[in-house]
Amino acid sequence: MKRRKSESLMGMAFFGPALVLLTIFLFLPMVLTLVFSFTDFFALNPKLTHFTGLENYIQIFEDEDFRQAFFNTVKFVIIIVPLQGLGALGLALLINKVSHCKKYFKVAFFVPVVMSLAVVSTLWIQIYSPEGILNSVLGVMGISAQPFINSASQALPSIAVMSAWQGVGYQMIIFLGGIQAINPALYEAAEMDHATPWQKFRDITLPELKPLCIFVFITITIGAFRMLVQPMVMTGGGPSHSTYTVVYDIYETGTVNWEIGLASTMAIAFAFFVMILTVIQTILTRDKEEKDGNKKTKKK
Amino acid sequence: MVTRKQKRNNWILTIVLLIASLFFLFPVIWMLANSFKPDAAITADMNSLRAFVPPVLNGSFLENYITVLTNTNFIRYMCNTLFYAAVLIVLGVVVNGLAGYALAKIKFPFRERWLMIIMLLMIVPMETIITIHFLIVAKLGLLNTVLGYILPMIVNPFNIFLFRQVFVSLPDDVYEAAQLDRCGPLKYFFTMVLPMSKSVVATVSVFTFLNVWNDYLWPSLVFTSGDLLTAQIGLNAITSNDNTTTGQTLAVITMVTIPVIIIYSFFSKQIVEGVISTGSKEG
Repeated sequence: MKRRKSESLMGMAFFGPALVLLTIFLFLPMVLTLVFSFTDFFALNPKLTHFTGLENYIQIFEDEDFRQAFFNTVKFVIIIVPLQGLGALGLALLINKVSHCKKYFKVAFFVPVVMSLAVVSTLWIQIYSPEGILNSVLGVMGISAQPFINSASQALPSIAVMSAWQGVGYQMIIFLGGIQAINPALYEAAEMDHATPWQKFRDITLPELKPLCIFVFITITIGAFRMLVQPMVMTGGGPSHSTYTVVYDIYETGTVNWEIGLASTMAIAFAFFVMILTVIQTILTRDKEEKDGNKKTKKK
Repeated sequence: MVTRKQKRNNWILTIVLLIASLFFLFPVIWMLANSFKPDAAITADMNSLRAFVPPVLNGSFLENYITVLTNTNFIRYMCNTLFYAAVLIVLGVVVNGLAGYALAKIKFPFRERWLMIIMLLMIVPMETIITIHFLIVAKLGLLNTVLGYILPMIVNPFNIFLFRQVFVSLPDDVYEAAQLDRCGPLKYFFTMVLPMSKSVVATVSVFTFLNVWNDYLWPSLVFTSGDLLTAQIGLNAITSNDNTTTGQTLAVITMVTIPVIIIYSFFSKQIVEGVISTGSKEG
């Protein structure tokens, strides 16, 4: 009895430091965000705070800037997810096939992952500049100079291409791991049946990789929803708000304009969206593990 | 059983991929080659293949680098970041490790519930609460201090969970034997548990380092003045200055990337395993 008590004290002592920090820097901020989202809390004049109910929630969806930020973010997701996801899958399949310089290819396509977002953004400001290297390469190919991040219509796609370039190597490594984990017996069996390479890809590789694909595509989607650093460094959200994102709006409303109430409402809406995606991802991929488990027990 | 046709196809694939990888890496190659050139040469080379070739080795080869290192606070920013990373690695391993051990091996009230809560916290996007972090740190009077930057970054639900998963499979009889030797729980944790779990400690340390080194939003909020900036914020301060030339900008971003490259080349195994495990554990 005494021993049990001392053990539970020890457990609390071990868990304690983390718990204190979790309380101050996670639980408290989460509760405060939720509470503030129903108020007009303005950090420069906190005494004037009122409870405003759902007013903020209505206001953000009527707010021109937030609506634009939301649509920009969705547009960014729509461009980058197929580009980065399919790019990574394609690269992984090709690199898996190739028999020479395999190691070099793995490193080469992984290099941009190593660079930070601030570094990549700073570099691509130069690459995309009107007299920059990309325009001079395009010039050689007979294509006229493009404004890229200096035009409202091209800025967001330009940032999306850059971000896909930076991130593609990461998912490529995940896919390579997945491809190598496929049971080689499946391919041997297909070979006996004289399956064509396309048939092998369609009937073995793709179905085996499907759960991993779901995981990767949703991970990219979540990452894309959180996009902020690139426009912060490259465009300041412009030109004419074309690269203003949801997180950018939260950041500016909360820490530049000090409108904590409104920023909290945006943050709740944003978190809601991201957490739904995460839950979908967990459900879809857990499904696969259970099926795998069944398969294994059947084999036994 | 490789036929001649397959062999030839494989060579074609290799060459296609080689060319693709060069196109893919052109921004990096351009960055490296031009970080050694004065701006006049960068502009002059722009329309030829020389844009991707470094200049001849001569007296001014390293001039951009030397200018950046002597005329700006760049070295200071790099040292700051290394220091923050070191502190956060030590505190992070201790705090998250102890919590992970408690959740794995010690019976205390509501343990299972805490584990559930930790797993739920892993899905909360940090951007949601960053405004409040900023407010709390400001209210504590810790804006623009090292403490204000470090405190919110120590605890990490993901790392607690990672530690817990590894510690749970440690054998119990070692602990019992240690208890017979009058080895206290804290001493046991530091002298037995951590050394037995080197690979998870390495993984957490490497990812903490990369996170601190590459983080942008949080340090840009906390640090307002020059002396405490991290490398990423410092690089932005240096490169957005009108007096900084293109060549110097390229030299700065090259240097900021060097420590990360060193970490990747030493710990590539841990990192790749970590990357793959995030895919296979949940996918």
